[in-house]
Amino acid sequence: MAQQPDVRLPLTFERLTKSYGNARVVDRLSFRVEPGRVTGFLGPNGAGKSTSMKILLGLAAATEGAAMIGDLHYRELDDPTGTVGSSVESDAFHPGRSGRNHLRIVADATGTSTERVDEVLELVDLADSADRHAGAYSLGMKQRLGLATALLRDPPVLVLDEPGNGLDPQGVRFLRNLLRERAACGNTVFVSSHLLGEVEHLADDVVVVNRGRLVTQGSLSELRQTASVVRAAAARDLSPVLEAAGASVEEGEKGALVVRGLPLAEIGDRAFDAGIALHELSRHRDSLEDKFFAWTNDTDGRAQGFAEETS
Amino acid sequence: MKQFRVIKAEIRKLTTTRMPLAFLVVLAVVGAATAVAVAFGTDMDGSQGFISTAADQQSLMAFASNALVIAGLFGAIAVAREYGHGTVILTFLTTPARSRAVAAQLGAAFLAGCVLGFVGAGISAAAVALGLVATDFGFMVTTSGLIQVLAASTFAGGVGAVLGSGIGALVRNTGGAVTGAIVLLFILPPLAVQMVNETARWIPNTLTNVLSGVGSTVGVGPAFVALSLWALVPAAAGLVAVSRRDVV
Repeated sequence: MAQQPDVRLPLTFERLTKSYGNARVVDRLSFRVEPGRVTGFLGPNGAGKSTSMKILLGLAAATEGAAMIGDLHYRELDDPTGTVGSSVESDAFHPGRSGRNHLRIVADATGTSTERVDEVLELVDLADSADRHAGAYSLGMKQRLGLATALLRDPPVLVLDEPGNGLDPQGVRFLRNLLRERAACGNTVFVSSHLLGEVEHLADDVVVVNRGRLVTQGSLSELRQTASVVRAAAARDLSPVLEAAGASVEEGEKGALVVRGLPLAEIGDRAFDAGIALHELSRHRDSLEDKFFAWTNDTDGRAQGFAEETS
Repeated sequence: MKQFRVIKAEIRKLTTTRMPLAFLVVLAVVGAATAVAVAFGTDMDGSQGFISTAADQQSLMAFASNALVIAGLFGAIAVAREYGHGTVILTFLTTPARSRAVAAQLGAAFLAGCVLGFVGAGISAAAVALGLVATDFGFMVTTSGLIQVLAASTFAGGVGAVLGSGIGALVRNTGGAVTGAIVLLFILPPLAVQMVNETARWIPNTLTNVLSGVGSTVGVGPAFVALSLWALVPAAAGLVAVSRRDVV
C-alpha cells in the first residue's frame, strides 16, 4: 500500500470540553498537532489525555468545543481508518481470537487485502505469533498488534495512546524509528505517553495537560530551555552584571548561578570585562521530567503519583 | 457495498472464536436427548402414544422455541462481550456511523442465529428419525411438515439472535445481557399471561409453535410479524442506546 505523503492533516482541538456529571475531565482544551512532526501528549493519569483522544476519534462526544482531523470530525471522514490509524486501548482484543484474525476483521470491514495483513504482521514482528490467541500475548505483543491495526491502511495520521507501554527496548526503538519515519514523510503523529524518557527521545513537540487543562505546548527543544551554570569567586557581583545584559539569573546549588537568556561565550566575556574570575561555566539542560513536574506541580499529590509510575 | 464489508467483518468476528462451537455442542446434546426420549420414552400408560402420529412427531421436531432461546443467548453474549473485551472500539473506528455499525452487528447476528436454528432443527429432525428406529413407529412427518419445522426454526434462530444482540448492546455486560435475555424470554411472557390472559397468543412460545405448524392460535402471518417485533423492540432500544453513548 502506497504512502500518502501529499496528505497533510493537522489535528485541531478547539476549546474541547468533556464533563461527566459535575466532573469536568477535559476543560477548554485548545491546541494544534502539526503534520510532519511527532507530538507527545503528556499528563498525569486522569489528566484527560485518553478522553481527548477518544473524542478526536468519535468514540466519545464532546460536551463543548471540537476535535478535528483537518477540517472534519472523525465521523465525517470518507475513509476513517484510511485517514487515521489509531490505537487507544492496549488490550482491546478478544482473548480467544488470533492476532491475524483480529486484523482480518479490520481488513474485511475496510476492504483491505489479506496480503496487507501479512505485511503489517511482518512489520511489527508478530508474524510468528499471528495465529496464537491474543489472550496469550504479552503486553508488548498486544501493543504491537495495536500498532499493526493502526498501520493496516497506511494512514497519514497516527493517534496512539501509550503505545510504548510494555515494549521491550528493541520494541521501543522500533516504535521510535517508525514514528519518526512517518513524521519525516509528512504524516501527523500524535502520541500520548506517561513515559517521559520515551517522549524525550521521540517527540518534536509536546502538549502537556493536567486536570483536563492545557499546561503548556510547543517544540520540545524550546520548552526544555537551556541554561548555563556559572561558578565564580564573586558570584554576588556577577549576578547584576549578567542581569544588566538581559539574562535571568537564579541561585543554583552550592552557590552556583543558573543563567538563562545569554549565550555561554557572552557570559564569559561579561565576567572577564567585570574582572570576575570564573571557576565553572557549563551548559545545563533541564530534563523533561524536571520540566514536567514544574508544569504539573500539584499540591494534592497527582504529580507525585505520576512520579511513582515513572520511577 | 460498504455495509456488506462491515457485515462480513461482523461475521468473521462471530466465527473466529470458539463460541459457535460451544453452541453447536449444546445443539448436539439437545439432539441426543431428543433421540433418547423418542427411543425410550413412554407416556404415563407405558405406551409410546406421543410419537404415534405425524402431528406428534412434528411437534417433537419443532425446534423453533429452543432456537429462539439458544440463539438469543448467543446474540446476547456475542454483542455484550464486544464491550467487555473492548473490541467494539475497533467496530466504531472502522464504522463511525453507529447506526450502520449496529445494523451490521444485528445483520450478522441474524444470519448466525438462522444457521443455529437451521442446524438445531436439522439435528432435532435427525434425532427423532434416529430414535424412531428403536420403536414400532415409522417416520411419518411429511416433506412439507419437515420444511416448515426447518424454516420456523431458522427464522426463530435469527429472531432470537437479534433479540439477544439488542439486549447485549443495551446492557453491555455479558452476565447482565444473558440475564436480560432470560427475563425477556422466560419470565416476562408468563407474567404477562398471568396479568392479561389474552397475551398468551402473542408470547414467543406460542408464536414459534404456530410457525412450526404445531399450533394455530393465530395465523402464520401475524405470528411472523409478532415474533419479529419481539426482536425488533430490543434491537431498536440497543441501537438508540449505542448511538447516544460514549465508548469508555
